[in-house]
Amino acid sequence: MTMAIDVFQALLLILAAPLVRGIVARIKAGIQGRRGASIWRPYADVLKMFRKEDLAPPSASAVFRFAPRLLFAVAVAVAAFVPVLQPSALLGSLGDFIVMVYLMALGRFFLALGGMDGGSAFGGMGASREALVSTLAEAPFLLSMAALSISAHSPRIADIVGWTLGQDFFDISAVHILAFASMGMVALAESGRMPVDNPTTHLELTMIHEAMVLEYSGPSLALIEWASAIKLNVMLALLIALFGPWGMATHLAPVALGSAFGVYLLKMLLLMTALAVIESSVAKLRMYLVPDFLGVATATSVLAIIFTVLSRR
Amino acid sequence: MINTAFYIFFALLSVIPLVAWLLHRRSRWLWLPAMLLVVGLVAGAAAAGHGVWGSNQPVPSFSWNFPFPFALSIDRLSAFFLFLICAISIPIAIFSLSYVNGHYQGPRRAWIWTLLPLFILSMSVVVTASTALAFLFGWELMTLLSAGLILVEGTSEERLHNVFIYLLMMHASAAAVAAAFFLFWPHSPGLEFASIRSSAPALGPAIRTVVFLLAFVGFGTKAGIIPFHLWLPRAHPIAPSPVSALMSGVMLKTAIYGLVRFAFDFLGGGPPWSGYLVLAAGAVSGLLGVLYAIAEHDLKRLLAYHSVENIGIIYLGLGSSLLFLANGAPQWASLALIAALLHTLNHALFKSLLFLGAGAISHSTHTLDLEEHGGLLKRMPVTGTAFLIGCCSIVGLPLFNGFISEWLTFRSFLGGSLLANATAQVVLPLMIGVLALIGGLAAACFAKVYGVAFLGRPRSAEAEHAEETPLAMRTGLVLLALPCVVLGVLPSLALSPLARLAQVLVPGSSVPEEISSISRVIPWVAATLLGTIVVTFAIRRAQRFTATWACGLPPLTSRMQYTSTAFSKPIRSVFAAVYRPDRKVEVLPADQPYFPASISYRSERTTSYEKFLYRPAVDAIVAAAHQLRRLQTGNIQIYLLYIFLTLVSLLVYLRFLR
Repeated sequence: MTMAIDVFQALLLILAAPLVRGIVARIKAGIQGRRGASIWRPYADVLKMFRKEDLAPPSASAVFRFAPRLLFAVAVAVAAFVPVLQPSALLGSLGDFIVMVYLMALGRFFLALGGMDGGSAFGGMGASREALVSTLAEAPFLLSMAALSISAHSPRIADIVGWTLGQDFFDISAVHILAFASMGMVALAESGRMPVDNPTTHLELTMIHEAMVLEYSGPSLALIEWASAIKLNVMLALLIALFGPWGMATHLAPVALGSAFGVYLLKMLLLMTALAVIESSVAKLRMYLVPDFLGVATATSVLAIIFTVLSRR
Repeated sequence: MINTAFYIFFALLSVIPLVAWLLHRRSRWLWLPAMLLVVGLVAGAAAAGHGVWGSNQPVPSFSWNFPFPFALSIDRLSAFFLFLICAISIPIAIFSLSYVNGHYQGPRRAWIWTLLPLFILSMSVVVTASTALAFLFGWELMTLLSAGLILVEGTSEERLHNVFIYLLMMHASAAAVAAAFFLFWPHSPGLEFASIRSSAPALGPAIRTVVFLLAFVGFGTKAGIIPFHLWLPRAHPIAPSPVSALMSGVMLKTAIYGLVRFAFDFLGGGPPWSGYLVLAAGAVSGLLGVLYAIAEHDLKRLLAYHSVENIGIIYLGLGSSLLFLANGAPQWASLALIAALLHTLNHALFKSLLFLGAGAISHSTHTLDLEEHGGLLKRMPVTGTAFLIGCCSIVGLPLFNGFISEWLTFRSFLGGSLLANATAQVVLPLMIGVLALIGGLAAACFAKVYGVAFLGRPRSAEAEHAEETPLAMRTGLVLLALPCVVLGVLPSLALSPLARLAQVLVPGSSVPEEISSISRVIPWVAATLLGTIVVTFAIRRAQRFTATWACGLPPLTSRMQYTSTAFSKPIRSVFAAVYRPDRKVEVLPADQPYFPASISYRSERTTSYEKFLYRPAVDAIVAAAHQLRRLQTGNIQIYLLYIFLTLVSLLVYLRFLR
């Protein structure tokens, strides 16, 4: 039964990912005074691209077609790390956060290679910029999760969530606040949202992720788009699981699971609204201010680590 | 049985030079030296295998007492390093079969086949020596033979200067190592390892500290940690590619062996602060090594700087192990030591692979400048795939071997939070950030290397007409690439022998449970990834190759691609404080800045180590020598006075002060 719920969690994170994008876009449209597209639009986009032919530049090698598939596979594997309804997950109960973070790096590495395989200027430009952002995001990502795992005495994500569930919400320490601030900034950078990257732009001067995938089309592009939607969904779910798991089912009863699902949806809606508000109210940072942004995230996560020692009881 | 294999190894490797000189004019027998080398190395690996997987009883072999106590024996630590040397050298020997014979003629070829086996043999002597003098004998030979191999390639002014710096620093290192050994002399006159080990507790704390520091500097110089790395990016790139692979992949590991032998086996852990020292050295070498590497576009120089980085990662593991040992946590100490030793093995595998790959690229394109490569994967599919595996491994991506050792290092840092010592409790977890940054930078660097060299359009005529390398070279590459993947997916193959070794070196530890934990999760991750990839490849649509739209201009050319320099620009700007670049822009003609006929741009990194560290040191030594010259007046009466004063002071010392 636990296994079945774990599978359901992973499928939820994978299949509902385009919907999250759609809802965020819809809320943003509302804030900007537009009507906006249907929240189901990302599904239609992905389906449409799956039906088109797969174009590749003449210089492209096997890496060009392999990269999107690996990226998608990584997204699927990462989705299996995050608890949603109960403090356990398919891979999250086996592997720790280091494996998860490095899996994301695997996907990014190959996508950067895929971008450079196109043989045009844009792919290399995007890959180079993405390399900078992800290089600087890795340290705060790992450090803030390390701070939590030190408090929880286990590096496994499911165990951290289980430990947090046992704590009183009003008793959470400074470690959680610092780590949350750091992880929030990392989540924006990792999923390529404002103020680090603008997912809706195609302007040479500013685009990062979009420049890297500019040469892709058809099913390859569909997989990339879906994978980055999963990544956004996973990052949001991870924030919920690590910093606000209260409401998750601690035992296997239909009522507990049902209420856990409802609470999860509410928390997700809250985060999506927050994301839309941030994206509508903040301007994109200049490329060379991104290191400062991530520098703040790193400093915050370093403080979180120091506070774990100070607050040790 | 083990000894027989070991003797065969020694006999075959020492006979190869003879064979090479006898046969160097007959082109039909060129394969024989390489074949003998491979057979000898297999015998050596078999002899070592017993110590790696079998019992811990040291197996003594050669031993004589004249003219100095010389003995070799294989205990578990020696066995691991001997196995590493032999196993890594096999693919390198196979690669050399066509590389050396294709690139060198006549006496030069014979010289390489003379020096190469002896170089491998000297490294084997270093790791199996069981007396200090045997160790120093091998240590010295190792330096001289590798210098000889660099000189086979040519004797230009610049090369001689680089070899001079190499020899100079290696002898400084040898002096420090010898001094570290000789401090044991009063307690163990024969300087056998067994008596050194048992006499170590009798040393005073001050002497122990000095021994540790001497070993740290001596082996650190050989390992190439910053700031003693000066020779490494000079010597490694100019050697023939198989020799670069041996130097970076294997020779550096003898320094790790030396440090482990001293710090863990002899001293049983250094002074309490030794862990911090090694950690700091590792963090600085790791970060600066990878930052310097990113700025390079000469493939072999770039790889040489990555050796500095990876030695840094190994030192991070060793440092945390020493720190745990000093704080009475043997369980964690053994985990960190396993991490360091596994990374030693992994680095040997992937760095040899990458250096051989660089050799294969220069064989096909006649250049090592990344800006002249491009699109090589389509032209050299086997080399390209093997090189990609090497890149993924060195970056530490999951499913490749580099990840396992970095993961173990991360876990040992996390374990630091459980120590009672407040400083260690903060410092070790913070090292996670350092290692993460190193990993991220390495990923950026190898995305650049692979993307620029193997993907996209060819950037030069040579790259466009590159052809796949001969069979022997491809075999060497594949033989090194396979273990990278196998150890990445089934880490327990390497981890269980290493766990037994760590139990010997760290008394009172058992097998850490992290080992079984990583061995459990990685296959599941691999299965998930593989399954999903197979499914996504099942979605097949029409595929078409078509030129990219170039905004209505004539079609894209290779000049429009991002170059290696452009790719690394954002990172170089962010870390500009590290590089202190010296830029020069020249616009011609000078009086027409807006309508230039030509613009030239030069950006050079100022080598601050030479300027701020080595130059003042050399100047101080020269100044001291000038002062000492005042003693040399040339007047015979003064010299007689010196002799008289020395005699008197010695007599006073003997009579009153002893």
